[in-house]
Amino acid sequence: MITIKKLSHDFVIGKKGRQTIIPVLRDISFSVEKGEIVTIVGRSGSGKSTLLNLVSGFIHPKEGEIWISGEKVSDMNEAKFADFRIHNLGFIFQSFQLIPSMTAFQNVELPLILKGINEGDRRKQTEEMLKKVGLLDYQDHYPGELSGGQQQRVSIARALIINPPLILADEPTGSLDSETEEELLQFIKELNRDMGITFLIITHDDKVAEIGDRTIELRDGRIVEEVRLLCN
Amino acid sequence: MQLKDQFRFVRQNMKKNKTRVFMTILATAMGCAFLIVLASVGFGLQKSVVKEMTERRVITQIDVHGKEGDDGGSFRPINKKDIQIFEEVKDVKAVTRRKMLQQEGNFSIGNYQEPAQTFVANFPSEVKAGLELSEGRLPKGQDEVVVGYNFPLNLASKDAPDDRYDNKSQLKTEYRYSGKLIGEKLELTVRQLKDGKQEEKTIPLTVVGISKKPTKEWAEDRSVFISDTILTEIENFTGTPKGYLLDANSEVPTDQDIHENSFDEVKIYAKNMEAVQGISDQLKDLKYATYSVVNELKEVNMIFMIAKAGLIFIGTIAILIASIGIYNTMTMAVTERAPDIGIMKAIGANPKTIKRIFLLESSYIGLIGALIGTLVSYGISYAVNFAIPLIIKQAFGKETELNIIFSDIPLILPVICILICYGVTIISGYRPAQRATRVDVLKAMRREV
Repeated sequence: MITIKKLSHDFVIGKKGRQTIIPVLRDISFSVEKGEIVTIVGRSGSGKSTLLNLVSGFIHPKEGEIWISGEKVSDMNEAKFADFRIHNLGFIFQSFQLIPSMTAFQNVELPLILKGINEGDRRKQTEEMLKKVGLLDYQDHYPGELSGGQQQRVSIARALIINPPLILADEPTGSLDSETEEELLQFIKELNRDMGITFLIITHDDKVAEIGDRTIELRDGRIVEEVRLLCN
Repeated sequence: MQLKDQFRFVRQNMKKNKTRVFMTILATAMGCAFLIVLASVGFGLQKSVVKEMTERRVITQIDVHGKEGDDGGSFRPINKKDIQIFEEVKDVKAVTRRKMLQQEGNFSIGNYQEPAQTFVANFPSEVKAGLELSEGRLPKGQDEVVVGYNFPLNLASKDAPDDRYDNKSQLKTEYRYSGKLIGEKLELTVRQLKDGKQEEKTIPLTVVGISKKPTKEWAEDRSVFISDTILTEIENFTGTPKGYLLDANSEVPTDQDIHENSFDEVKIYAKNMEAVQGISDQLKDLKYATYSVVNELKEVNMIFMIAKAGLIFIGTIAILIASIGIYNTMTMAVTERAPDIGIMKAIGANPKTIKRIFLLESSYIGLIGALIGTLVSYGISYAVNFAIPLIIKQAFGKETELNIIFSDIPLILPVICILICYGVTIISGYRPAQRATRVDVLKAMRREV
């Protein structure tokens, strides 16, 4: 599903003439199979967020290749990657990233609007999805009127609405209490089991890391350990 | 993304900051109204001038003054051969030709008299050109005449005092001939100086027809149409062509031959307005000196065209100023919505779609502004046309004689304005829209919900 070959990235900071190059990722190679849940762990500054942003296409790698579903996404331009994202990738963010001026329904519906689906089909699919995450009664609520757990469920519904084969999650439980965290992890497992969705999750939370089939640990921009969890 | 959804997005976005959007639309509307009202003055004055020109003359009429001689300088009058040439030109409806008595004939009936211009006309062509009678018939006999509509109204009593006219310069009814005129005998008195002594000759005529009232209110037709035979009789008496009146020093004109066979007033009537130019051009090629109101209109229209272009240009500056407002509003909108744009880009919105939404929003502002501006300018235009004559009346104590249109908005004007406004809006909205596509996803998403 995902193949990463010799990926390296660095950030350039400072003013022109006095720039400093900070290496973030060095020679990263790994792959994620279809139907897997892979978690990436590491301390703050280890480069895990950068890795996810590179896979998401939010930043462009300096070196190396990224392949998703057989397509070399690391070579795609912004517009092409946008089209690829809307058809293949679901996103779950730590701070949910819902549009505050849109209701839960509108937030979930947004990817379908961008895909150009007609209104009737959109309504049906969005309602189904909100039902699936248990928020059909809250469809007219704005994000500000929902709890953290509910907001994250809205964002999951938004990720799922396009039926993506792969979901990229950035600290999905980072803003949740332990009870809702448990619920969410169960839900991710269910989605993986029932729908065969592949997950690449970034976390520093052991509980989250435990749900993965594999855990990759990053330190100072390099893979230091890759653990296959047999219990899953 | 479907267009319908893009519109929905735009409307939702515009609702987020109603006051700002309203002020921007207001500025655009003011710019457009300024452009339209300013240019409408040009259109209005042009309409007034053209109306004035076409009202005073028949638009299909071409006056022929003469033909340029071979030497290139002098002009000779029009003769029968020329008339034949004119009649063969394509799209010519009629060629009227009149010979004019070269002195004012004095007409009298009983105790009433009136000096009037006297013509010999070719009636078949006059009828083709539109001559109609209000009473009687066209002349058949040599001594039969047709008089103009205003002729009987000015037939005054010989004893009438100097103040015989009322305040509208009309002959007072009590001094006016009140009897019937058709079938009555009319006497034409012509004069000539012979051996230093003034001699008079009286020719008896019969009135058989009166022409129709001129369509133009200000026009007055007091002419009398006599036959060629009567003119010859007059010429025999005066010894000059067309009854030319000699004074003590003058002699008989030497180019007598030319004058005897020539016409004094030749008018060609085209079948329609479009044909006038073609006929004029052909006659010009044949070296005839012509005049038609269409030629003059062309020049007047050209001058007004330049004036209107200038006014529209000045008006466009107002819209350009308004466009700064649009630029500002759109830049603010992009800045405010950067987090939303970031999220949309993150989940897969194409940069082109984002750009289109912002361009659509600025077009929306521009077009609504232009429409409101157009409506307002129609209102102002009506108000101006209504109020200015009243103001003039107040200031000068009388109504304006000329029926001037101060402001006129033909359909083309709002169309031009909307096009200019749309163009300017797209230009001013383009940079902010371009900026929206460059919003950095990661930076934009770094906010607390």
